[in-house]
Amino acid sequence: MTETLLELKGLEVTFTTRRGTLKAVDDLSLTVKRGEILGIVGESGAGKSMTGAAIIGLIDPPGRVSNGEIWFEQQRVDKNPESMRGRQVSMVFQDPLTSLNPLRTVGDQLVETILAHMDVTKAEALQRARDGLTEVGIDPDRINAYPHAFSGGMRQRVVIALALATEPQLVIADEPTTALDVSVQAQVLDLLKKLCRERGTSVILITHDMGVIAQTSDRIAVMYAGRLAEIGETREVLTNPQHPYTQGLMASTPSVDAKSFGQELFQIPGAMPKLDALPSGCAFNPRCSQAHARCQTDRPPILADRAACWLMENAS
Amino acid sequence: MRRFLNSDFFYAFTRSPLAIVSLLVVVLMVLSAILANFIAPTNPFDAASLNLMNGFTAPMEPNMFTGETFLLGTDDQGRDLFSAILFGLRVSLFVGVMAVGLAMVLGVLLGLIAGYLGGWLDTLIMRLADIQMTFPSILIAMLIFGVARGLLPAELREEMAITVLILSIGLSEWVTFARTVRGSTMVEKEKEYVSAARLIGLNPWQIMLRHILPNVLGPVLVIATITLALAIIAEATLSFLGVGAPRTEPSLGTLIRVGQDFLFSGEWWILLFPALTLLALALSVNLFGDWLRDTLNPRLR
Amino acid sequence: MLLIILRRLGQSFLVLFLVAFVSFMIFRYVGNPVDNLLGQEATNDRRDALIEALGLNDPLHVQYLSFVGRALQFDFGISYRTAQPVADMIIQRLPATLELALVSAIFAMFVGVVAGVYTAINRRGFIANSILSSSLIGVSLPTFLIGVLLIWVFSVELKWLPSFGRGDVVDLGFWTTGFLTVSGLKSLILPGITLGLYQMTLIMRLTRAEMLEVLRQDYIKFARARGLQDRTVYFGHALKNTLVPVITIAGLQLGSIVAFAIITETVFQWPGVGLMFINAVYFVDIPVMSAYLLLVGTLFVLINLIVDLLYLVIDPRLRDGQLKRTGG
Repeated sequence: MTETLLELKGLEVTFTTRRGTLKAVDDLSLTVKRGEILGIVGESGAGKSMTGAAIIGLIDPPGRVSNGEIWFEQQRVDKNPESMRGRQVSMVFQDPLTSLNPLRTVGDQLVETILAHMDVTKAEALQRARDGLTEVGIDPDRINAYPHAFSGGMRQRVVIALALATEPQLVIADEPTTALDVSVQAQVLDLLKKLCRERGTSVILITHDMGVIAQTSDRIAVMYAGRLAEIGETREVLTNPQHPYTQGLMASTPSVDAKSFGQELFQIPGAMPKLDALPSGCAFNPRCSQAHARCQTDRPPILADRAACWLMENAS
Repeated sequence: MRRFLNSDFFYAFTRSPLAIVSLLVVVLMVLSAILANFIAPTNPFDAASLNLMNGFTAPMEPNMFTGETFLLGTDDQGRDLFSAILFGLRVSLFVGVMAVGLAMVLGVLLGLIAGYLGGWLDTLIMRLADIQMTFPSILIAMLIFGVARGLLPAELREEMAITVLILSIGLSEWVTFARTVRGSTMVEKEKEYVSAARLIGLNPWQIMLRHILPNVLGPVLVIATITLALAIIAEATLSFLGVGAPRTEPSLGTLIRVGQDFLFSGEWWILLFPALTLLALALSVNLFGDWLRDTLNPRLR
Repeated sequence: MLLIILRRLGQSFLVLFLVAFVSFMIFRYVGNPVDNLLGQEATNDRRDALIEALGLNDPLHVQYLSFVGRALQFDFGISYRTAQPVADMIIQRLPATLELALVSAIFAMFVGVVAGVYTAINRRGFIANSILSSSLIGVSLPTFLIGVLLIWVFSVELKWLPSFGRGDVVDLGFWTTGFLTVSGLKSLILPGITLGLYQMTLIMRLTRAEMLEVLRQDYIKFARARGLQDRTVYFGHALKNTLVPVITIAGLQLGSIVAFAIITETVFQWPGVGLMFINAVYFVDIPVMSAYLLLVGTLFVLINLIVDLLYLVIDPRLRDGQLKRTGG
């Protein structure tokens, strides 16, 4: 369980626009272990989706990976992401309604994916496709149905079957349940978790929903303004957050228990800065209640393997 | 005026060389068409001033009999081509502008009625528009032209040709106006100022013309510009086919029709210069219209 | 599904009915059929006899029904100008127009789709941008000018291709074809390009726009994320989705091609129905105009219908009646 599957070293994704260069992901380093579920949380625009796209090598121009390295199974892959895309690393997108080609049957799309990566005959691919559907809880006889014949939750199951069809070692799930009904979210999430655990597949789960993360992941990485704010074991981070941003995030997450009825939620003052107007030093310092002089000038590194915050300096 | 010069619109205009050049060409052509009488060296339709000896003079070369030189050469009858083009441009622009005016008035009125009053009138107008839209407008224009000719007594056909031409092109282009105006009217209708006008007891026509109309005019102007290019091309096409402007009042299309006959005998200029003029006119109106559309209303595509 | 088809058929009949009515009104009320057939000097007795024979005194709806009935039997009356039956004139000239339209349509569709896909895939390429800019000029250039310019270059200057007529045609009894002789094929090139060029630019721009739109879709991103080859993504996923609207529009353009053949046929003196129509407009030959309207109208309605039904076959969402198409 402790073997490293994926390692990001100082990853940087930039967008060149008319108004200058924006860093969507800034000096991000983290590892994903084999069989582990890593949750990446953050507000929209924090760079979490961009991180996922960078790993699989699908950043749309004018964005690009401008710095850093991506290592997968001890191989450097950022120069040729095609080598593992779809085969060893696959992806689940947010909206199952738009993720499937509406003009082709689900079986067709499954078989096509299997044939593209695995050395099997057409009949074997078809059998695998049927097995895949069965595994995600869909009647394999519906293999010739078109996507529109399925509900949103069922379609996301098809998407998961597609993502797992080639037996990848890593699945990047980008907000896989955000577009679904609340009642279906848990089912889909449990399914994804169960299938990946069975196969020992690692997952990067990208979401803004702390509940989803708490329920699913082994470790959490919190991102803020393109940077890693805090990383650690799920239980640790949730119960004992170190970065003031994570603390704010936890305090502003609603919990349903008797005590909290009628209580007002905590709000972090201000809003996440735009990428073209980042403050100097720590990106969070204008909103931080505990900021001091150094926070405004020097950018904190990850300290004590945990949080990018100068407050951690004494702790280490 | 100062407000206009400071507007975003004017700023966008100064930043687009394409828009400036195309507008310049259009303005230049409109001016020379209006002032054709003063600019043209000769009156090309005054038979007395024509000298058959000058026939087929090449551009910028002295005629071998009379020694006269013509900027763009002459046609078979010794008519100065530059003058003929100026007068032809006048006919083309006149027909184009009048036809668009007709299409605009008709389309805007029908669109307002359909959008504001709704009901069976709306259904009727929009069904008619749908059906007309399935046929190319040039075909509709030809048909109207043919029917109008059939209804007119033979001796009036030549005389009324320009009017008939305007009518047929105008009636073939109203649909776009009507559809757009109907759409915006239906949006405007729901706004408070219309309810207010209704409350103080204005009748539907007053509301439509005084209150809604000014608010839906923006896209109408864009469509008018784009339709102008279409109308100019339609007029040239009909005239080229011989079912448009008569030979006594030739437009650019008529001149090209005449020019085509002399292509094989080597008198290329009789074709080329009217063709280039038409091309420049249609292209610049088109480009300016496109720019206008993109600038004023990026969604109107 | 059946309901959609039935409703669609109903609409088509309504439009056909209207087109037939307009043709009828033109046939009956524009110009004076009696004067045109007998001349101004005919005696009153002969006039009355003809009016009776033509049923011109019957109530309007009776006249209309008999007009439709005769049209269904391919009887459109006698041309005022040539005194031939209009139906014979059409049958004689239709093959020329249809062959020309076919060549143009194939040219427009094939070149248009290929160029559209190319410019969409190589969005930033130099060649793609050159193709796009020149297509803008192509749109502003009136069809007849394109024809005249092509004649100038390829017939007058280079003398490669004929500038008018169909060349040698082979008479198959019911059909005359230019496909079987070299001169016939050569004669098709310039008019075919002239007629197809505008539609080609249209199809190209549409294909490009649709393809770019499709390439932005999530399922394309997902297809890439599944590691499918670019070729599979472009041609296996994007192209099919692109072609649905393209086929619709291109199909609708088929009617326009037949209508615009009027212009091309005049430029190239091509002996088809378009040239016949323009002569009819010029000489106020009402029965020919009316018959042409009826013919082209029917063609348009049929094409619209076929395209809509085809749409049902291609798009499974429509087939199951899930989506309602907006507009008619």
